[in-house]
Amino acid sequence: MSIIKYVLRRTLYLIPVFFGITLLVFTIERLAGDPVQLYTALNPHISEQQRQLLRQSLHLDQLIQVQYLSWLSDLFSFNLGFSFSGGSVATIIAQKIWATLELQLIGLALSLIIAIPIGVLSARRRYSALDVTITSTSLIGTSIPIFFLGVSAILIFGYNLHWFPSGGYESTLPSQYPYGNLILDHLWHLVLPTTVYTFAILAPVVLLVRSSMLEVLRQDYILAARASGLKDRTVIYRHGLRNALIPIVTYVGLYFGGLLAGAPVTETVFNWPGVGRQFVASTTELDFPVIQAVVVIITLMTLVANLITDVTYAYIDPRIRLE
Amino acid sequence: MSQSTKQLQARPRGVSQWALAWRRLKKNKTAIAGLAIVGAFVVMAAFDRLVALYPPKCIVGISPECPSPAFISNGPPSLSHPFGTDITGYDVYSEIVYGARAAFLIGLGATGLAILIAVLIGLVAGNFGGWIDNLLMRVTEVFLVIPFFLLLLVFLQVVLKFSPASTGGLWIVVFVIGAFSWPGAARIIRGEVLKVREFEFIGASRQIGASSSRILFRHLFPNVLHIIIVLLTLQIATSILTEAAVSFLGFGAPGSNTWGQQMYTSSNFIAQAWWATLFPALFVTIMVMGFNLLGNGLRDALDPRLRE
Amino acid sequence: MSSEPILRVHGLKTYFYTFAGVVKAVDGIDLQVNKSETVGFVGESGSGKTVTAQSIMRIVPTPGKTIAGEIEFEGRNLLALTESEMQHVRGKQIAYIPQDPTTTLDPVYSVGDQLTEVIRRHQSVSKKYALAKATELLYSVGIADPQIRVTQYPHELSGGTKQRIAIARALSADPILILADEPTTALDVTIQAQILELLKDLKQKLNVAMVFITHDMGIVADTCDRVTVLYAGQVCETGTTEQVFEKPKHPYTEALLSSVPSLALRREKLSVIPGNVPNLIQPPSGCRFHPRCSYAKQICIDKDPELESIGDGRLVHCHRWRELELKSAVAS
Repeated sequence: MSIIKYVLRRTLYLIPVFFGITLLVFTIERLAGDPVQLYTALNPHISEQQRQLLRQSLHLDQLIQVQYLSWLSDLFSFNLGFSFSGGSVATIIAQKIWATLELQLIGLALSLIIAIPIGVLSARRRYSALDVTITSTSLIGTSIPIFFLGVSAILIFGYNLHWFPSGGYESTLPSQYPYGNLILDHLWHLVLPTTVYTFAILAPVVLLVRSSMLEVLRQDYILAARASGLKDRTVIYRHGLRNALIPIVTYVGLYFGGLLAGAPVTETVFNWPGVGRQFVASTTELDFPVIQAVVVIITLMTLVANLITDVTYAYIDPRIRLE
Repeated sequence: MSQSTKQLQARPRGVSQWALAWRRLKKNKTAIAGLAIVGAFVVMAAFDRLVALYPPKCIVGISPECPSPAFISNGPPSLSHPFGTDITGYDVYSEIVYGARAAFLIGLGATGLAILIAVLIGLVAGNFGGWIDNLLMRVTEVFLVIPFFLLLLVFLQVVLKFSPASTGGLWIVVFVIGAFSWPGAARIIRGEVLKVREFEFIGASRQIGASSSRILFRHLFPNVLHIIIVLLTLQIATSILTEAAVSFLGFGAPGSNTWGQQMYTSSNFIAQAWWATLFPALFVTIMVMGFNLLGNGLRDALDPRLRE
Repeated sequence: MSSEPILRVHGLKTYFYTFAGVVKAVDGIDLQVNKSETVGFVGESGSGKTVTAQSIMRIVPTPGKTIAGEIEFEGRNLLALTESEMQHVRGKQIAYIPQDPTTTLDPVYSVGDQLTEVIRRHQSVSKKYALAKATELLYSVGIADPQIRVTQYPHELSGGTKQRIAIARALSADPILILADEPTTALDVTIQAQILELLKDLKQKLNVAMVFITHDMGIVADTCDRVTVLYAGQVCETGTTEQVFEKPKHPYTEALLSSVPSLALRREKLSVIPGNVPNLIQPPSGCRFHPRCSYAKQICIDKDPELESIGDGRLVHCHRWRELELKSAVAS
């Protein structure tokens, strides 16, 4: 079957998954307690009458199924409600989402660009000193949590050497911009978080590329390709890498979901104004509209990532299109 | 690969699989390093009073159990305080030592729960197939897509806010981490079960009428044991890491003295007293590294395909 | 069939350096292939047949290494060539048909892609031309509807078809020597016969020389002009098919001939060669076959025999070839 049909199949399949998730989020939220109480916890002077009005506007006087459906329909019309501390949730998210995406996507892209050649090199020179170094370093690297790497980097390059700002998205005063340029200022702030983040996710990918390549290079069709006189480069990259990418794509797809979920930590360490840092603040205050919205959005991004993974997989491996 | 090399890699008769695996593990230097690290932490946790310099939660210079040396808040590393002191005046090094036990508690507790669920689901799904498998896998997928870490934070905040019992808090953290960590492992175990089922002998025992649960436990389980051991070890690393992250953000159990908590309390003072945050973070890193290296080594050693 | 050699292997040694020890897979092999002839390369599993072929092509997988010997081909020693030069020999002058057709094609590329890739590697032609040639090749190996097959992927095809494609790939650059590694072993019996016919047909039409690696003496009798018998990494004997089948000079050959059902003529029961293939890390002392040889004497345990030329192009690797009157199970 063609790729397009496959994509459609997978998309359709995601819909029940999405509903399952929204159901779960909704349930957890309701379990936490009466929304009216939570809303008004910050403001004890609200009258009973006002509480009743609030209750009605939140449909809390209706059946639970109706509540769920009305919440769902709100979601689809991007009506994300209002934060307990004021302000439209949609606006809050819209302001912060770009910062999160920037860090995540650049980090992922860079790490793939670096990891694949290194992994391939390591596999080709198996048992060599280079391979051993790469493998050991990567093994150690997989264990270094971002808070350690990030805090260390900030301490060394930020507080100590003053090469880079110790956090934040941009300088508070225009006079601090390098060469007076706003874009440069932003880039200057971007360097440390991106570098640390890229390093943090580089290690497992390198190991995976290496092990996948090793597995593929043992296969008969690689031997046959060599035996046909094809150039080494052709054998390794055209035949080897493409087959090796199959498990890599799958893994990166899954991994990306985990990375997104880790945004709160990364953004807290670097004081990065994304939805992750916002989530930490909102969760501390149990500001449910925001919490819900962030969870749903991140889940959606994970689903989209999964879809992209599936499509890429189908493109690389024609066997999968048959399923 | 030539036939002769294949022959030679076949296990010589009489040597048990486990002995062979242990031999291969010993050869793997990084795995041994991992084992050594874990061992060191076990010692640290078991003999914490002996390894530490001061009694637990002791404000050096003020509390009666540790009257000397003089009180210093956020003091830099020195002879009497190898890793410095934190804002309260605790000796960072000693607090780290006392945190080792909590780390093991978290690692083993959360992992025990997670792997238990994963094994059950994986075995059942892989063995029975059909609609059971389908259902379980769909549920697993939903769990995998959900940003578990985010929900974890919410859960903890809700629970800890409404039931302020402090020591109980750590158990809640352990439980929640365990309850959310099974999907990945379940999927892998199911995969292994499917692979093992392809071997003839399972079919043979089915033919002679062995009941399903007998097959499940006497044939399948031992053969997927190797992957369970690896997953277990790696999950310990993940659990410790997760708790550290959670506490670092401020959602940990307030009374517990985990490394993550220590990082959190000192995180406001990074500029003045970086040691109070960095050293606990370092120890988290080392312990996680130990379990990761060990887990990877076990994976290579226990691989039934006997790679060169 | 001329007696002009195009391939002369002398004293080839390929060892595998594994954690368990050094596997002496090929330990001093001599082989000669003359123009347009088919040489059978016979032995049990583990005797070193595939490793020899891989050594000739210089594609021995790690941890294997060819450590001694000469491979004379078209006036050059293949072992002395650079990798880059070797890449122009592989496929173009010597082609290899691997043993297992199900794993020999890359699963993510279409048949057409894989064939045209090889064609264009050795000839600078357009994609269109290469595709046309590929289609033609498929037709010449007996594949129906080649224009459709060319767009298909390996997983959509049967084992027999894949083997034909592997043969087509081997022929695509018009080599003068083909190393066919047990091309029929992995196939169903009915398909086996078809592939054998195809190979015999191609051999006649194209006049290409072939080394036919197999463990089946029946196939050797059917398709080969000359035969080299291999045991535990060493040559036992070499000669024309007639010579070796009618009057074997090595006990192993005699045993092989009597254990093949397809050659059973005037025998009561099928005999089995006692014992097992030896451990190649620590092969038996002296003659490697001695533990399983019914004619072994003390000298066989003490000393490794020479590969002697005994006239008529025959070579024997046995101390006792003069005295032994070996019987062939094949009636002449």
